[in-house]
Amino acid sequence: MLESLVSLESMSLSSMDVSVLERLKWLQQQQQQVLSTTNASPELLQFHGTNNDELLQNTFSHFQMLRSGFGPNYSMGFGPSHEAMDGCISRTNSCQMDQADTVGVMLKNSEENITISLKNKRKSEVKTREEEKTEKKIKVEAETELNMKVKSNLSNTEASSETSKQKSKAASENQKLDYIHVRARRGQATDRHSLAERARREKISKKMKYLQDLVPGCNKVTGRAGMLDEIINYVQSLQRQVEFLSMKLAVLNPELELAMEDLSVKQFQAYFTNLPVVVASKPSLMVDAPLFPLDQQGSLDLSVINPNQATTIEAPSASWETQSQSLYNTSSLGFQY
Amino acid sequence: MERQIINKKKRVFSVEPNKIPPSEVFTRKYTRLLVPALKKLNMNKNSSQANQLTVKHEVDMALALSAQEFAWSRFLLQKLSSSNNPTTTTSSSSNGIRIQKRSGKEGGDEDGEIEEKLRELQKLLPGGEEMNVEEMLGEIGNYIKCLELQTIALKSIVEDTT
Repeated sequence: MLESLVSLESMSLSSMDVSVLERLKWLQQQQQQVLSTTNASPELLQFHGTNNDELLQNTFSHFQMLRSGFGPNYSMGFGPSHEAMDGCISRTNSCQMDQADTVGVMLKNSEENITISLKNKRKSEVKTREEEKTEKKIKVEAETELNMKVKSNLSNTEASSETSKQKSKAASENQKLDYIHVRARRGQATDRHSLAERARREKISKKMKYLQDLVPGCNKVTGRAGMLDEIINYVQSLQRQVEFLSMKLAVLNPELELAMEDLSVKQFQAYFTNLPVVVASKPSLMVDAPLFPLDQQGSLDLSVINPNQATTIEAPSASWETQSQSLYNTSSLGFQY
Repeated sequence: MERQIINKKKRVFSVEPNKIPPSEVFTRKYTRLLVPALKKLNMNKNSSQANQLTVKHEVDMALALSAQEFAWSRFLLQKLSSSNNPTTTTSSSSNGIRIQKRSGKEGGDEDGEIEEKLRELQKLLPGGEEMNVEEMLGEIGNYIKCLELQTIALKSIVEDTT
């Protein structure tokens, strides 16, 4: 039964110019055919439900632009319904929706299905669908064969993990998915280990890119080793700075009570525009020269700030918000991990 | 008993979390923690002997406490609480920049170099050695951010007192 459906679906894929409506009609015809031949038991309903899903998903591979249009609100409990029969029945019910909605829902759910497939040990058709959804650079043959052979639960998980890793990177635009999808290019190995390696490497390179933006001066260096060197240097210099400042603070501690009653926020104003700021005011106490270029502007700002200590806090606070906004916008990224 | 259960269930989740940018949150927390701690230190110890270590301890403690959403802060807290002698996070700073040893493993072992550097980076991050590489790279990002904010805060505190 499964195989026949797979063949049907592959047929449907071959005709790229079939419109959605036609396909839906065809789909309904298929449904009716199958329904007529067998009893309408709950199991079948579930089966048809999944069938419906998969065939619809098929058609939507051509409508990738719709993907972006539909937000993550179409959860509808489709995912876990793959195992629960009531869920499946509800799914078939919901398929009576407006066609456009169904399109969007199915599109969204197809992606959800792909992720959930990992968890739920999906049947092999879905895997085939997902593969064929990706651009044709993927070696579909290998996967299709593999999936056809797969029957047991265990091998299902393996294959599904492979497939999910082979998703085109359009899926990575999806907000709610946690999985990083790797596109397998033509001629590349598609066995499980290399795919896992590739996924891992892509994750790492993504993080390295992020670090590159974070650390100043990293853009000029190319290659991982150089970048890592820069990052190490930067972290070391930051730590040294902190140590130096705390030493200074220890020296100055007795005078701490003086102006510290309310640490006015405007003190931070100057510093926000000068990241990283080097303490250039007391060169005699400097332990070692900073590794990044000295920003002379920073010292000027420091001198400007001090005489203003007597001024009220309200005035600068508004400007502080706007001035520091840019800093916050950039630095807020750092807390999304 | 039932009441307790009912109360537990009634958790309030804010639909829109506070829109304060996280760096501001961190800076505020940090200064609010550090300044009173320093004042207390000041009051307790009137002698000027070896305050540096305790100040450093307080500085590190404030850093760890104001960044509790990150993994490395947990490790830092552990380190701080386990030993009363504050273990500085800058222990490697005295080594300067370590020159990577190139004992005959050139071209083919470029990955080995990178591995070494990653390991060194791991040493810099508190708790970095217990994480795997991916995790560590992510944590390093926000550790750097927090260090930057910490330097800003410390600088302003120092400036205030001079």
